[in-house]
Amino acid sequence: MSATPKPAAPGNFTILYFATATSFTGKNVESLPAPLSLRKLGDVLEERYKGIREGVLGHSLVTINLAYVDVPEEGEDDVIIQEGDEVAIIPPVSSG
Amino acid sequence: MQHNSNNEHHSNSAATNGEQNGSSLQLTDEEFDRYSRQMIVPGMGKDAQLRLINSKVLIIGAGGLGCPAAQYIAGAGIGTIGIIDGDVVEPSNLHRQVGHATSRIGMKKVDSLITHLRDLNPLPTYVPYTYPISRENAADIITLYDLVLDCTDNPATRYLISDVCVLLCKPLVSAASVQKSGQLIVLNCPPTPQGKMDRKYPPCYRCCFRKPPPANTQLSCGEAGIMGPVVGLMGVAQAGEAIKILASALHLPQSSSDTTTEDDPHNLIQPTLLIYSYDLNAAPGPYTFRALKMASRKKNCFACGENSPQTLTLEGIKSGNPNYIQFCGLQTPKATLPAQDRITASAYHAARESGQLQNHILLDTREKEHFSFGSIDGAVNVPFGKLLMKAATIKRDGGDAQEILPLKSAEDPIFVVCRRGLDSQEAVEKLKELGVDHGGKRKIVDIIGGMRAWKDEVDPSFPFI
Repeated sequence: MSATPKPAAPGNFTILYFATATSFTGKNVESLPAPLSLRKLGDVLEERYKGIREGVLGHSLVTINLAYVDVPEEGEDDVIIQEGDEVAIIPPVSSG
Repeated sequence: MQHNSNNEHHSNSAATNGEQNGSSLQLTDEEFDRYSRQMIVPGMGKDAQLRLINSKVLIIGAGGLGCPAAQYIAGAGIGTIGIIDGDVVEPSNLHRQVGHATSRIGMKKVDSLITHLRDLNPLPTYVPYTYPISRENAADIITLYDLVLDCTDNPATRYLISDVCVLLCKPLVSAASVQKSGQLIVLNCPPTPQGKMDRKYPPCYRCCFRKPPPANTQLSCGEAGIMGPVVGLMGVAQAGEAIKILASALHLPQSSSDTTTEDDPHNLIQPTLLIYSYDLNAAPGPYTFRALKMASRKKNCFACGENSPQTLTLEGIKSGNPNYIQFCGLQTPKATLPAQDRITASAYHAARESGQLQNHILLDTREKEHFSFGSIDGAVNVPFGKLLMKAATIKRDGGDAQEILPLKSAEDPIFVVCRRGLDSQEAVEKLKELGVDHGGKRKIVDIIGGMRAWKDEVDPSFPFI
């Protein structure tokens, strides 16, 4: 059994959900078709999980391949999620 | 085994009341005995231990994070330990707040924790603050310390602490935990004056989390629950980072000033956000621990970016600018239902008892875990999140409200109850939006105050969580 995460199927990227993103989607991880513009990621997720933009994405960090990325605004250079990438949605946890 | 015990060093039992903390040059015999096992770890040593003894750490929060963090901070011999928290020890704390005790229920948490810590290690100076941190007192307290641990439980306080640490140039170790998740990050280390952007600098909390979660998603440990080991692990890791920073002087300007802006040998300029995800149904897997590299200080950060000296000042914070409560959405009250769409718990109970409500539907929107501990007789459980998702799907794709809950007739009234009377109001609105009330022919109301009110007004023995 491999200890490393399973790579996404060809033509897909992996998306990981943490904290409230897990409760919202009911999943820890799933595969989505690549390539995908990072700006469009919100639309794709909202299609699948209505309300996720306002309930989760709006205040969450996004990382690609273990590094933080800014979601580009209009006019800024877009970031393209490639096949095999690992995207993570991280809502801040505030309690303790 | 040799150790320094010559007569020149100013040790004696004064070490126990902390008079020499802050300027120790030699270890006392007792310190040597206590800290020997950590001092012999490669990378530690006598000088590192003395740095710990001469350091002052502030622990904000004496709860799930603060208790384990404080235990290891105290055990390691950090010389001055301030602890601030206004709360009192309750039984529901004790599954995770391991610095307290059954015998100290009712005591101020700070006093309870310090009692425990003094017995663990009497050598540090313990400074209690038995009131909450606030915008009025934060700067005056934080300024006295070398490093801050954020062990608090709400976003408004986290932003306040981070802002003050930026302004006062204090490194901040921030951890958080709820339900089955934990997060940890080292911020503003080494601390850099506000506004400096000539190269890459460590980020603050706002650089990483620009916006707080919406107020209605901010769940406390009391609402969402928390597993002891999850928050415990983060608290201990937090102490570990604080000890490391102080022992290795990572918070002081690094001597290698000729490094290029791409060098980050200590993972400080682009710190790692450590995420712990605990699965009640599976042993650790590849996603259990995840380490995500954050960005460095952001140019447009409100607190520490290019123009921040204009937007954030100590005087401003003290006088309410920024308004942290408002920023975190805690002030805007959710639109409440009109009075005719609501009923008190006692009135509902009376109507049931008198036989007036023969065929009604009682919808309980709490999570199934809460529902499983107890519910009003005959209640149907549809958790709020599920109700919202189904309502959205019905609205988008057409479909029957029967998918949310089975409705035998078109007239039987629906009563909605949730935990505290907030979600139930939104549920009533959603059901009406879907036409379940048939233009007003069917009564749909919610119970004011939810199951909390049921416990207060009708059944004091009800197991309310």
